[in-house]
Amino acid sequence: MRRTAPAFTAIALTLIALRPAGAQPAREPNTCATCHASVPEQRLAAPAALFAGSDVHRDRGFACADCHGGDPTAAEKSRAHDRTGRASTAFIGKPVGQAIIAACARCHSDAELMRTFAPKQRVDQATEYATSVHGSQLARGDTRVATCASCHGAHGIRLVNDAKSPVFAANVAATCARCHADPQHMAGYKLPDGSPLPTQQFADYRQSVHYAALTRVNDLSAPTCNDCHGNHGAAPPGVGSIANVCGTCHAVFAQKFEASVHRQIFDKGCVECHGNHAVMKPSDEMLGAGGRAICATCHTAGSADDKGAQAAERMRARIDGLKTSIEHSDAVVARFRNAGIEVSDDELALHDARTVLTLARTEIHAADPARVDAVIEGGAAIVARVDKNAEGDARELQFRRRGLALSLGAILIVVVALALKVRQIDRDRANR
Amino acid sequence: MSVMLQQTTAWLEERFDLSGVRHFVAEKGVPIHAQKVWYYLGGITLFLFAVQIFTGILLLLYYRPSAAEAYESVQFIVTKVRFGWLIRNVHSWSANLLIAAAFAHFFSVFLLKSYRKPRELTWASGILLLFLMLGFGFSGYLLPWNELSFFATKVGTGIAGGVPIAGHFLLRLLRGGDDVTGATLSRFYGLHVAVLPAMTTALLALHLLFVQRQGMSVPLETEHRLETGEPLRQMPFFPNYILRDVLAWYVVLAILAALAAFYPWELGTKADPFAPVPPGIRPEWYFLAVFHTLKLLPSHILGIEGERIGIVAFGLVAAFLVFVPFLDRRASRGARSPLFTVAAVLGLVYLITFTIVGHYAK
Repeated sequence: MRRTAPAFTAIALTLIALRPAGAQPAREPNTCATCHASVPEQRLAAPAALFAGSDVHRDRGFACADCHGGDPTAAEKSRAHDRTGRASTAFIGKPVGQAIIAACARCHSDAELMRTFAPKQRVDQATEYATSVHGSQLARGDTRVATCASCHGAHGIRLVNDAKSPVFAANVAATCARCHADPQHMAGYKLPDGSPLPTQQFADYRQSVHYAALTRVNDLSAPTCNDCHGNHGAAPPGVGSIANVCGTCHAVFAQKFEASVHRQIFDKGCVECHGNHAVMKPSDEMLGAGGRAICATCHTAGSADDKGAQAAERMRARIDGLKTSIEHSDAVVARFRNAGIEVSDDELALHDARTVLTLARTEIHAADPARVDAVIEGGAAIVARVDKNAEGDARELQFRRRGLALSLGAILIVVVALALKVRQIDRDRANR
Repeated sequence: MSVMLQQTTAWLEERFDLSGVRHFVAEKGVPIHAQKVWYYLGGITLFLFAVQIFTGILLLLYYRPSAAEAYESVQFIVTKVRFGWLIRNVHSWSANLLIAAAFAHFFSVFLLKSYRKPRELTWASGILLLFLMLGFGFSGYLLPWNELSFFATKVGTGIAGGVPIAGHFLLRLLRGGDDVTGATLSRFYGLHVAVLPAMTTALLALHLLFVQRQGMSVPLETEHRLETGEPLRQMPFFPNYILRDVLAWYVVLAILAALAAFYPWELGTKADPFAPVPPGIRPEWYFLAVFHTLKLLPSHILGIEGERIGIVAFGLVAAFLVFVPFLDRRASRGARSPLFTVAAVLGLVYLITFTIVGHYAK
């Protein structure tokens, strides 16, 4: 608590120094933009150019002085940049560290003000930030950590749902990676166990099924960094809460896992089998006690004492069995469909059987073979019904083929008879 | 059997004067020459049309022309109705074979210049019949109300909307509104089972009447030989030719049965007007050449919309086809007309090439 005291002091001072900008209309003329647009020094000209482009604050009537202070009506540089003038026109310059948080929080933590611009937007970002690793480090005086501007930008800020925004879902990972994938920047930061903070998370994430869904399928609901770590309150999820984090989206899996024996054993919950940043597409090969099965990491195949291995093998065998019978029935139904028999009911039934297979794959997270068996039975019954229908389809196909052969035979006889008749009458005519 | 036939004939003779019919049957002949094989195409087209009427009437017993029931009723026909699958498959296959046979008949008549005087009206009625067959194909394609037919109709009626001046009116007339909906289905159904059949019956009767009145045309070379005094070799229509015709119909029937049994016409998925347009939407093969040509045209030609120019050009080609006998003055005089032969060959090559390219185009 003592550590955060200077941070709150800074925020308070800045709040006093700055006016409630949103309450005032945009000032005209804005000499800041006029002068900075023409200065040769890029460091000073770039912000003006960015702000003049696409900026959510400028679009809503805010100007440079709302964050930087100063007198935008002053024609002389010295008066515009006067740090000693009235509080309302005192120049602040470039906010750094806690001052950035204070500058943004001045409006973004003001529920009444935010209601006039974005009534649905939360106003607790600064509070959340204070609880984050970034916020607590900053409070300790570490100015290398991310502040608002590090992720959202300072000038040329775009709305979160703007695809060009650095915090747009598809861009979040790259934005975080600007610091977290840079070994130089991350040098000195350590994990709770004292080991250096890794920097390969972004590389791992880019191999994951989540990244593929987000960037290749354009599924913006797929998780990126902030969906598991939080955004303003960014921190690694605690060991005990990993299943809760994954369960935000994978609710059924989390529910099954909650009932499993692994719940008490796995330190890192879901991560134990699926990994964290490099979450791969799961496959049936992950289940079992041998080969590439993940279970084999802890369990021993063929061991009479290892009940876990036996359970894993049994669940895998049941899943493989249903999968194989669905594939077989699929091939049979396809054969009849190609032969012209209407099989849409069977196709629908097999679709249901595949859903059951998915449910069985979900059920394995409870690590109870009896529960998997119960689900598989339902799928097996569907497949059995399809196979029985297939017998009827086979009879129908046989009937059609016989019918066609008979029809073609009858047509052939008529054609031959007609040809003979034509020959005969032609001959008769020639003889006459 | 023959006694019964004689008795029936005598019974009829007593009431009606059948001498005209007997004379027609006894006298009608079919010329014999190297090109006589093309004569069968007209008969085959007629046979397939008869198959369409027969199977169409059977389908009408179960088909329901509404957006809510059309797809389900066709599904019911092919799954639950005894031999419904066969009737529906034969109807679909026969429609395609019919248009193929009509095109073959058209090109054979064109290349043999059989349209020349005095058969101008036979030709014109035949061309109009070909257009009606295409109309049958276009309207019938939508009736199962599946995804492909829905979007293909959207594209097809959209093309009609490109007709200068009357385009928008035509589009609304065809669709029954601004978009393809259940109203379009009702219209297409009415066209398919009432308007087009009525027009076809009248025109077909006229076409056949012309053929019977004027007899079969012979190629120019044969005609020239006749002028030198060479006698025309003929075979009696009854029974020598009609038996050959029936034989050809049986062969076509066998092909139709095999196609229907082994290559069922897909039903696809039910049309969903709110679904995104699936990739690869294209019309039936007989519209592919026109469709692909319109697709290839630049967006603007001399400041006018390319597609509009294309539609006008195809309209002019259609008008040209109707009036070919009146434009080909040389053929009317009994002289060779290589220009029209080249036009027909180029037309055939264009249709085949663009149909194939259109089929494989993305």
